[in-house]
Amino acid sequence: MKDTPLKLYLFYCSNSLDANRLRQSFCENGTDELTAVSLPCSGKVNLLYLLKAFEKGADGVLLITCEQGECKFIEGNLRAQKRSESVDAILAEIGLGRGRMRVVHKKNEGGIHQIIEEIKSLRNSLRGQR
Amino acid sequence: MIVAQRKTIPELVEILQDYKKILVLGCGTCVTVCLAGGEREVSIISSALRISAKLKGLDFEIEELTIERQCDNVFIEAAADAIKRNEVVLSLGCGAGAQAIAERYVEKPVYAGLNTAFIGILEERGLWTEKCAACGDCVLHKYGGICPITRCAKHMLNGPCGGSRENRCEVRPDRPCAWQLIYRRLKNIGQLERLKKIEPPKNWEPSLSGGCRVIVREDHRI
Repeated sequence: MKDTPLKLYLFYCSNSLDANRLRQSFCENGTDELTAVSLPCSGKVNLLYLLKAFEKGADGVLLITCEQGECKFIEGNLRAQKRSESVDAILAEIGLGRGRMRVVHKKNEGGIHQIIEEIKSLRNSLRGQR
Repeated sequence: MIVAQRKTIPELVEILQDYKKILVLGCGTCVTVCLAGGEREVSIISSALRISAKLKGLDFEIEELTIERQCDNVFIEAAADAIKRNEVVLSLGCGAGAQAIAERYVEKPVYAGLNTAFIGILEERGLWTEKCAACGDCVLHKYGGICPITRCAKHMLNGPCGGSRENRCEVRPDRPCAWQLIYRRLKNIGQLERLKKIEPPKNWEPSLSGGCRVIVREDHRI
């Protein structure tokens, strides 16, 4: 059960992440399935997008936003944070526990490596819950 | 407007667990504005129900629909076919809307997916506060437009109680003292003299305490 591939969704603000570099990082995920969804801004995400990912069988969802104070649309990343917290609460209500829904505020100096580490951290956390 | 909140997902699953074909029916009026039962919330709650059903081994087939208003027969008609082809209706309307659906479709189980809370307003983004208790005998003109029934925790008509601290209610410290507000408002509009008049105990007969109410307008009936 612990070795069954994980199904992960990654919603990302296209202003914070380069899709090509993101695809390169996929190779480091082994057999786990990672679906990336580009957003014009993390603030475009709403509860339904995130819940639908879990409805489709996602084990975990990562939402990548711009760093605090760096959102091109001023408060998109703040809205994204609140909505993710709301989804986390709904998942806890349903009985799936907390922590399956994570928000990552990509640091300008962190690069793709920060994202890779966050994906690894989420995978380890989910495997631990199984 | 009417302000409501969704019931928890476990509570909804418990209500619906004996059914398979479920219509989640939203309302496009008050509950859309208070972000509880509109089209978006129908999708969100339906998705959460599907996830929960899968976890619990239940076989839910959920149909989603939102009509303009659930409290009006003319609009309810738009849901007729969907109601017919499902076993149960989970109404995301207010209590009035849910009951209107139930009265129209007497052979169909109709359940409320929301807890209807109060008549209130949107004070700021994401914050609704109660303003009116629908007591049936409005006395706002005596209190500068601030209702002592709803906004005073003790429903005092001859306040203040003297228990407030730093303009906060002693019963609900997260709320302002209504009588502080009333005093300030009456002072602003030059009507402080009103506070000198002692109001008799309220007649609650026109309110829900007097039983379920009916209003008839004969000039609109043939």
